[in-house]
Amino acid sequence: MIQLYNVCKAYQKDSSALADISLKIPKGDFLYITGASGAGKSTLLKLLYAAEKPSRGQILINGQNVTRMGAGRIPYLRRQLGVVFQDFKLIPTRTIFENVAFPLEVQGRRRFEVSKKVYQTLKQVGLEHKLHRRPLELSGGEQQRAAIARALVVDPLVLLADEPTGNLDPEITLEIMELFKGANARGTTVLLATHDREMIRRFPRRVIVLEGGRLVDDRTP
Amino acid sequence: MLERSLYLVRRALRNIRQSPVLCGAAIGTVAVTLTILAFFGIVVLNVQKLTSQWSREVQVVAYLDQVPTPAVLESWEKTIANLPQVATVEFVSRTTALERFRQRLGADASLLAGVEPDTLPASLEIGLQPEARNRAGVESVVRQLREGLGLGDLRYGQDWLDRFEAFLDLLRTGFLVLGGFLLFATLFIVANTIKLTLYARKDELEVMTLVGGTPWFIKAPFLLEGAIQGLCGGGLAILGAALIFHGFLQHGLSTLLLAAGIDGISFLQPLQQGLLVGLGVLLGVCGSLLSLRRLVRI
Repeated sequence: MIQLYNVCKAYQKDSSALADISLKIPKGDFLYITGASGAGKSTLLKLLYAAEKPSRGQILINGQNVTRMGAGRIPYLRRQLGVVFQDFKLIPTRTIFENVAFPLEVQGRRRFEVSKKVYQTLKQVGLEHKLHRRPLELSGGEQQRAAIARALVVDPLVLLADEPTGNLDPEITLEIMELFKGANARGTTVLLATHDREMIRRFPRRVIVLEGGRLVDDRTP
Repeated sequence: MLERSLYLVRRALRNIRQSPVLCGAAIGTVAVTLTILAFFGIVVLNVQKLTSQWSREVQVVAYLDQVPTPAVLESWEKTIANLPQVATVEFVSRTTALERFRQRLGADASLLAGVEPDTLPASLEIGLQPEARNRAGVESVVRQLREGLGLGDLRYGQDWLDRFEAFLDLLRTGFLVLGGFLLFATLFIVANTIKLTLYARKDELEVMTLVGGTPWFIKAPFLLEGAIQGLCGGGLAILGAALIFHGFLQHGLSTLLLAAGIDGISFLQPLQQGLLVGLGVLLGVCGSLLSLRRLVRI
């Protein structure tokens, strides 16, 4: 599903955020990307959703070479991905329904189809009773569930999550992890960047460890 | 396609509804700047009207030493009228010339008592086409009259024509520089106001790119919003200009220009009003486009 070959990323000449990363992630895998702050976790995810271009190396997602992809094709790649952020990135002026509907509207889906799918997804994350609320009227955990619903509403091939529980209490973290596990069980490949060792211990899956931009460990329990 | 277009329109209208203050600021900026431009336009329009009336004075007078026979006169008139630069040819007999002079003297006409019509020469007054009312046009006609008909005593107010052309050049340059500066300033102000409104929606733009929005899908509602703001701003500018015009500009210009010979002060014509609103729409769209170019990066 995802292949990286000797990927490097340098923001400045003399320091590299990622160095010589080679990795294969099969379809339906659940993978933790871990490491200290500044290890390169977020950079790796940004390369995967094409917010950044690698300085060297090749990245393939579902057979498409992201590195050689023109700007015109990037939106179509992103429609196959779901991305979840630590700060949720919900639009505060829009209702939860409108926020979750966004990726489907971007794809030009019909209104009836959008309404049905958004309602189903919000029900899946337990927010069907709050669909007309605005993000700031919800708790942090609820906002993250809404962000996950927005990522899942398009039935993505790959779900990328950058510290999705970083701002949340441990109990809420459990709820969020259940949502990721559910998506993975339905066939979505999940890549989750975190430095929360407790979470990795409680939900053991394949882990890759980054240190100073290098891949230092790749283990499967 | 229709559903997609309707969706984009709905989003543009929803953007406006959700940020009435920002949208009002953009409309207000377009309205104020275009009102200034309209004010400037009205002044230019009326001064142009004045200069065009002045230019009617540009004519060539051929004084005739001897009054030719009616047949020769008719042939001259025909030849002159056929010149492409010529609009009218009028024969002024000696008697008519004396009569005109008498009228011009008004109360002092008694001074002409005893003066015979033979005193003043007969002439041909040659009016020119509007595009020939300049030094080059006049000189071309004079040359043809001299060479073709052998007319020697030709007057066309050389000094006045030079001063008139210099005045027109100054006006044109002044209007171009000032008008260009005003347009640039308008675009700059409008683009910056719209940029502020877009900065307030930076998160929304970022999310749209992350969920796979194509650049045009993201930009279209904002461009439409810019066009709507420009349309409203342009409409308000017409209203503002009309208020200023009827409030004091008409009176002020009348005092200044009627004395100089203009027969009436006019407001912007419907076509010019349409152009002003169109300019508002263009400014709104260009302002949005300039700001979006920096903010929407895939």
